[in-house]
Amino acid sequence: MKDKSIRWGLPILLILIALPAVVQDTFFLRVITEAIMWIGLALAFDVLAGYTGYLNFGHGAFFGLGAYTTAILMMQAHWPFALALPMGGVLAGVGALVAGLPTLRLKGAYFAIATWALSRAVQQLALIMDITGGPDGMRLPSFLNPQFFYYLMLAIVAVTFALLWFLLECSPFGLKLKAIREDDQGAMALGLNPTKLKMQAFILSAVPTGILGGVYAYWITFIDPASTLGDLVSDQALVMVVFGGMGTLVGPVIGALLIFAFKTLFWAYLSDFQLLYLIILGAVIALSVVFIPNGLWGTLRGLRSHKKSEEKKDESLAAKLPQNEGE
Amino acid sequence: MELLPQALMDGILLGGIYITIAIAFSLTYGVMHIIDFAVGEWIMFGAFAGYYLNKVTGLDPFLLLPVVFIMFALVGYLIQPVIHRVLSGNKGNPLLMGLVFTFGLAIMFQGIALTVFGFYSNSTPSVFSEGSFFIEKFGLSLTISSIRLAGLVYALAITAALHYLLKKTNFGLGVRALALNRESAGLMGVNGKQTASLVYGLYVGVSAMTGVLIGCILSVSAQMGTEYTIFAFFVVVLAGMGYLAGVPWAALLLGMVQSIFLIYFNPGHTLLAVFAILYIILLISPRGLFGRGV
Amino acid sequence: MKKRLLCTLALVTSLLVATTLYAADEAVFKVGVVTELSGSLATGGNVTKRGYDLWAQEVNAKGGIDIKGKKYLVKLYYADAQSNPASGAAAAERLITQEKVDFILGPYSSGVTIAVAPVVEKYKIPMITGSAESPLIWSNKFLYTFGTVPPINFTGATPIKTLSELNPAPKTAVILGSNDTFSKASAEAFKTAAEAAKIKVLKFNIVPAGQDLTPLLSAVRGLKPDLIAFGGHDEELIKLVKSLRQIDYTPKALLMHYGVTEPAFVEALGKDANQVFGASVWTNTAKTKSAILWPTAASYDAASMKAFNTPADYTQAGSSAAGIAFQVALQKIGATPGMSEAKRTELIKALEQVNIDTFYGKVKFATSGEYYHANVGMTPLTVQIQNGKTVIVGPKNIQEVPAQYPLTPWKNR
Repeated sequence: MKDKSIRWGLPILLILIALPAVVQDTFFLRVITEAIMWIGLALAFDVLAGYTGYLNFGHGAFFGLGAYTTAILMMQAHWPFALALPMGGVLAGVGALVAGLPTLRLKGAYFAIATWALSRAVQQLALIMDITGGPDGMRLPSFLNPQFFYYLMLAIVAVTFALLWFLLECSPFGLKLKAIREDDQGAMALGLNPTKLKMQAFILSAVPTGILGGVYAYWITFIDPASTLGDLVSDQALVMVVFGGMGTLVGPVIGALLIFAFKTLFWAYLSDFQLLYLIILGAVIALSVVFIPNGLWGTLRGLRSHKKSEEKKDESLAAKLPQNEGE
Repeated sequence: MELLPQALMDGILLGGIYITIAIAFSLTYGVMHIIDFAVGEWIMFGAFAGYYLNKVTGLDPFLLLPVVFIMFALVGYLIQPVIHRVLSGNKGNPLLMGLVFTFGLAIMFQGIALTVFGFYSNSTPSVFSEGSFFIEKFGLSLTISSIRLAGLVYALAITAALHYLLKKTNFGLGVRALALNRESAGLMGVNGKQTASLVYGLYVGVSAMTGVLIGCILSVSAQMGTEYTIFAFFVVVLAGMGYLAGVPWAALLLGMVQSIFLIYFNPGHTLLAVFAILYIILLISPRGLFGRGV
Repeated sequence: MKKRLLCTLALVTSLLVATTLYAADEAVFKVGVVTELSGSLATGGNVTKRGYDLWAQEVNAKGGIDIKGKKYLVKLYYADAQSNPASGAAAAERLITQEKVDFILGPYSSGVTIAVAPVVEKYKIPMITGSAESPLIWSNKFLYTFGTVPPINFTGATPIKTLSELNPAPKTAVILGSNDTFSKASAEAFKTAAEAAKIKVLKFNIVPAGQDLTPLLSAVRGLKPDLIAFGGHDEELIKLVKSLRQIDYTPKALLMHYGVTEPAFVEALGKDANQVFGASVWTNTAKTKSAILWPTAASYDAASMKAFNTPADYTQAGSSAAGIAFQVALQKIGATPGMSEAKRTELIKALEQVNIDTFYGKVKFATSGEYYHANVGMTPLTVQIQNGKTVIVGPKNIQEVPAQYPLTPWKNR
């Protein structure tokens, strides 16, 4: 597994690092930068949705929290971006800790809707507070260096991917999360502490999202409650993850790339048919759930490997699960 | 203090609208375990159906309710098997799959509505929209808008009808059995597929009728759906998912909170309060107000 | 199968679009249009698009822009801002770097405009928005961004002044605003003006957008204000009037902002729309005279009816006027398509000196102060809906008909 990931990951990373040297066009660089951002958001969303089985409609709130923290620190406290950005991640993490403790006790639809309510409440808060600029939002100084934002976004998402790969695919942590997803009680019987694990996953999902929000704020130079704290981030991440394949790391990447590419191509070259875009996107989502419920990657993987070997792998994975969670 | 009766009355009338949005939705969840993201879009389509039928026939929207119901119930009945397929797939998390599927539907419906109906807001006229009752007694003054009162009456009628259907008919018995346990209901001779289709049809029909009503009381536009989806979700969750008897209370609570906040507190904080209260209630009682949700 | 059909369809159309793009002539002004064609602000975005379209159609019907005796056609390149600041910035960057547009006609909303402005600043491409008017845009002092619609705080005061001159003048007011940039600023402008006119403000609230306000209005009813002023968007205005009607409270005057001039307002409310006051800078009966393109407001409205079967409103008119401003500035400096950076800087200078009478009114951009690069040449108007038509009832010197005041109670309509 590890060799394979390096075999694939390294060349891709090298190509991506070299890309700005080849692509001089600032518009394409902007599009790719945004695509990378969505990959990061989808990956972070999948930690909770795919691996842990908790659908977080408040994902966007962490994005907004990071964006607003960065913006407020830069504009009101005059911090440099390099310090304000990490604080965006920290605050998103703290937010996840505070919100997670009570919210993660809820299950299924209740969790999904409680997080939605919470994110709406956060949006309302940003709308009525003075420090956030209310509905007018906040403007940040324009630092429009496309290469800077490209590399920053790439670095954050690459690190996120590597970290998630290590934690979820190469260490027992991922298996423990899956155990909770499949059977909460059973996991507890195995000596796992679901509450603690879920909290860890929640924070693991929130921190990169917050950091990406901070980069977004500085990159776009303008944030407001409608665009950063609305449903856009959660909805889009959900669609990307489901389309690509939940509970995998490659799935969200594929899903984010395809959905974003489709969206961008449609937007750039068929803008007269914007409404058609909504119809097609909706149909693609609905049809993909009917025909490829495991997502593109999940389905591809399913076709490749036989059922038997799949079962075998699961057994061997289960054997790897440590009997006790060290506390 | 003199505003209190009015505040309570406005809350009740607002709650009436929320009952109609949520009651059939809750029933569907109880039977099919689906959270339908497209509930707001059914309301929107219903609102447009009412608007155009009124324009073409000149009949009062209240008289058109049965027509709209039948039209949309048929659509729901025909769509249900697809949703059933999504939910019964043994792959992934069915709840999530249903959510995503209907989310796709909602986006598609919105695109279709914008294409067909355009971007502008409209309003459906009705005989009831003209008048209001003004009560001045015992030093109290109270205004009741007749259209909102009609809405409340409709809400109570639907609630009563659903109650009757569930408790007093064979169909209702089947529905309740199905909600309780799918397998044993099947063993007892309940045609699961047929019943679920009927329930979904019922839900779509009722939602569309609600749309007609909202078109009269508030407004009609292609982008109105999402707002009502949120309120539908909140009422249903507050009531306890699938717990029908909780819906009127949860809806009234939501209406009350909005009304009281708009009148007595900073109106700008109303929605913050609504979302915060919903969140806190869920934390205290994870299965809704009465702890009876599925 | 349907999916495949759609894919093929999409492919064919994209090819068609691509070929038309590459067939573009050298001697054509490439004009970028960044606006909200989809998303929550699509209603307004499409109105601005109509305004830009109508300008381009009219210019091309006249053979193009006359630059030193040679005529150049204009070609519009659209990019959808999807009602989202990030998409707006990307849209502007695409038009500038891919389509190599000469200048840009800007977004409908202030939020998207603020996100687009740094991008046009970076590439030094002039932009005029025909609609965005938030004071926040102008206070940022973007060199390359202009706007033809005057700022709200500039226009909001006029209707209050008109109302305060009526007999008997309203003495008390309740002022509400929806919590979005435009509506909040209008409500604040109303409040400042009301206090200046010695109208007592009994209640001032900013409320969450899209909320049903009936309970709040029940409370307002108890205060019995002479004037209710509300800042909000199309659907909210319709809901507010319906709510007032449902609780049966008729104030002496009901004031809203631009939104009442939108055809949908009158269409949705019918007779209940009558006598509602609004603020505007343009109506299709405005007494404007111009030597460029359309001679009068009425002729512009007729052109709009012909092209889109929709009467023109101030947003659409402002958007067409944005095109005219560019046209005049281009003629002045004798610019030809494919302007160099130096020429574009010259264009900014020329725009700053624009002082022209158009069908829309006088266009003249401020060059300093809080309204930097906003149009301050206009006379703000007080309008009222009378028999389903928008008429000008103030200021006094350009009044078309006297204001109907106080409002006829809802019941007697």
